[in-house]
Amino acid sequence: MKLKRFMTIAAAATAICVVGLQPSHAQDYPTKTVTVVVPFAAGGNTDTFGRLVAEELDKRLGQRFIVENKPGAGGNIGLGDLARSKPDGYTIGMGTVSSNAINQTLYKTLPYDKEKGFAPISLIASLPNVLVVNPDKIKANNVEELIAFLKTEPGKHTYASSGVGTSIHLAGELLATKAGIKITHVPYKGSSQAILDVVAGHVDMMFDNIPTAAQQVKAGKVKALAVTSLGKADLLPDVPTMASTIPGFEATSWHGLFAPPGTPPEIVEKLSKEVQAIIAEPAMQEKLKAMGVTPVGNTPAEFQAFIDKETAKWADVIKAANVPLQ
Amino acid sequence: MDIFSNLWLGASTAFMPMNLFYGFIGCLLGTAIGVLPGLGPTATIAMLLPITFGLPPESALIMLAGIFYGAQYGGSTTAILINLPGESSSVVTAIDGYQMARNGRAGAALATAALGSFFAGTVATILLAVAAPPLAAVALNFGPAEYFSLMVLGLVASVALASGSLLKAFAMIVFGLILGTVGTDVESGTPRYVFDIPELYDGLNFVAVSMGIFGICEILRNLEGEHERSVGVKRVTGLMLTRQDIKRIIAPVLRGTALGSFLGILPGGGAMLASFASYAMEKRISPNRAEFGKGAIEGVAAPESANNAGAQTSFIPMLTLGIPGNPVMALMVGAMIIQGITPGPNVISDEPALFWGMIVSMWSGNLMLVILNLPLIGLWVKMLTVPYHLLFPAIIGFCCIGAYSINNSVFDVFVMAGFSVIGFALSKMRFEPAPLLLGFILGPMLEENLRRAMLISQGDPSIFVRSPLSLSLLIFAVVVLALVLSPSISRKREEAFTE
Repeated sequence: MKLKRFMTIAAAATAICVVGLQPSHAQDYPTKTVTVVVPFAAGGNTDTFGRLVAEELDKRLGQRFIVENKPGAGGNIGLGDLARSKPDGYTIGMGTVSSNAINQTLYKTLPYDKEKGFAPISLIASLPNVLVVNPDKIKANNVEELIAFLKTEPGKHTYASSGVGTSIHLAGELLATKAGIKITHVPYKGSSQAILDVVAGHVDMMFDNIPTAAQQVKAGKVKALAVTSLGKADLLPDVPTMASTIPGFEATSWHGLFAPPGTPPEIVEKLSKEVQAIIAEPAMQEKLKAMGVTPVGNTPAEFQAFIDKETAKWADVIKAANVPLQ
Repeated sequence: MDIFSNLWLGASTAFMPMNLFYGFIGCLLGTAIGVLPGLGPTATIAMLLPITFGLPPESALIMLAGIFYGAQYGGSTTAILINLPGESSSVVTAIDGYQMARNGRAGAALATAALGSFFAGTVATILLAVAAPPLAAVALNFGPAEYFSLMVLGLVASVALASGSLLKAFAMIVFGLILGTVGTDVESGTPRYVFDIPELYDGLNFVAVSMGIFGICEILRNLEGEHERSVGVKRVTGLMLTRQDIKRIIAPVLRGTALGSFLGILPGGGAMLASFASYAMEKRISPNRAEFGKGAIEGVAAPESANNAGAQTSFIPMLTLGIPGNPVMALMVGAMIIQGITPGPNVISDEPALFWGMIVSMWSGNLMLVILNLPLIGLWVKMLTVPYHLLFPAIIGFCCIGAYSINNSVFDVFVMAGFSVIGFALSKMRFEPAPLLLGFILGPMLEENLRRAMLISQGDPSIFVRSPLSLSLLIFAVVVLALVLSPSISRKREEAFTE
């Protein structure tokens, strides 16, 4: 009887400790500077989103959120660093469709434990790609005409990408497998020179990130046939979706915030709530939309489900297209 | 005339007190980081990016641009004084500039660099104002095949970069080419020579390699003792240029400016390529070519003009097409996007005040830099009198910080250290580092464009001769090769290089 009572008290005390103390820990967080690892070079999309969000977290949580760029090996170097850092919430990092859903299949070895993965905080933004063609090289006004045209000249036409295994490359592979056509992949280092060569007509077409491509479309240098998001894109409201011709076709470049595996869920939750609130702010919405970006912001569970779905989808494309593993 | 009203609009933007102020801050910061080896404009602009969120777009971009060309000025200072290129584009300046400093002519070398840069900057600004859109169209004609042919020409011409044995020069170029293959193969995504080290997936870092081969290696050589006092640089005589100096630099500055303006337009390392190419050209055609490598003032004037002209014209593809040609331009594009301006062909018509304001600010920025730098020459030269036991550890410290800050990676510091040893061994065997670095830069571009062109042509090599532009570049390369190999010239060449 006595023992039972003692046990009850002990259990209650433990419960109070667990319930009561842990959140107060998270309530205090952050008490010092937080490092935000961006696994890509400064100036790119991931860096821009990382800095925009870090700036706001800084204001809301009263501690410095410092962005540190650790580029290299398709994001693997920065994520390796993130995975190895202490899971206390004082090191968090950005991840993208490439680094957190494609590399898992594309790279034979990763500098971190694939199984453990990361603790997703929130998806920040997703960026549709747009299929643009050089009007002199490709005589087509929509995706159906394009597929028909490419079927008459199999293997003769080329598409550019920002590198092997990028979402831009795999969008092309997805098109080729789904439509049953043969097109030659011409990889570049980064998308800026790739779109330049499509504008100049050295390469026939490309899936490119929407902000840069939209400018070339508006200037009449290239023709936009379709966007790769499931819904239409604000920057190019007249352009139909790929999915309207090829059902289910979706290939977006997304960017989110992650914590190292094992970070206390309370801290992850707290950060997630802040990030969701930041993204919901009208000023941020406006800023992101002007960049052609779809602002998202979701819970860790929603983000994890999304990542699992994306990882499975790109694994299928990589296998179907026989993309060589790195 | 349209152009005058445009320039007037630009001037009224650029000369607004606030914009002048931010331009000055940018130039000052740029010079400072240019002087510090390795800490380049890319890292600085990245760090300052959040600060620009709150500024009006014109001021933000004017300041960032100031950092970029300020670094071009500052980078040559350490190259000349201590053989430590602060910027990749001032690597060749170190060759003759440092020799001039050792002969007690550091002041003249610094003045040449500043004045040559200013002249080139002025010309390139005018070029930008008058001809940016048509020039951007020229850049569009350069597809993979044309790039390949341009790189072939560059490689052939680079033989001229070497003094001494032709065979050794070839060996160094090939060594550079091989180093350039390290990293992920762009076409297949296969890693090459990476030994499972993730840091090598993107290849060896150029800045780390060149800091090791030039800067740290120079310290090693000094410590060895044999140069010990000779590096102590003879007494500095005259900070300013003599009339004869001015006569000698006019033609190289003009040629450097022309070459730099052209190469800067092409995406992919314009300014750096420009300084190498103009040095190689001067070494071929200058009446004083015998002095090259021993402190020829032309060897400072030409590459410095070329890299500044190239830095300026590298804005052309960014401003007119929205396509960044180098990492700094990529950051500028990022800054514009944050400001709500999407770079692209429409910027000139949609944002005329921004476009023309930036162009005019380039000139005012260059003027500020000359005013800033000429009085500083005396101060910089004093740096040479700092005793070695203080100077060397400081340089090594800055180099480590610089190498680390490129990618925030300790690995790059090791790369730098490793290459200082390799550079030391090479200098012992009288191999020259310049052709190695050129092979290292050109190699990956050569390979990528060759394979890209072959992919596009479905494996038909005639793509290289079907395009008139590519064909003429290749013919030119053959002519240069014939000249280098012809007996009479190679004899003259040897005469020129043997003391």
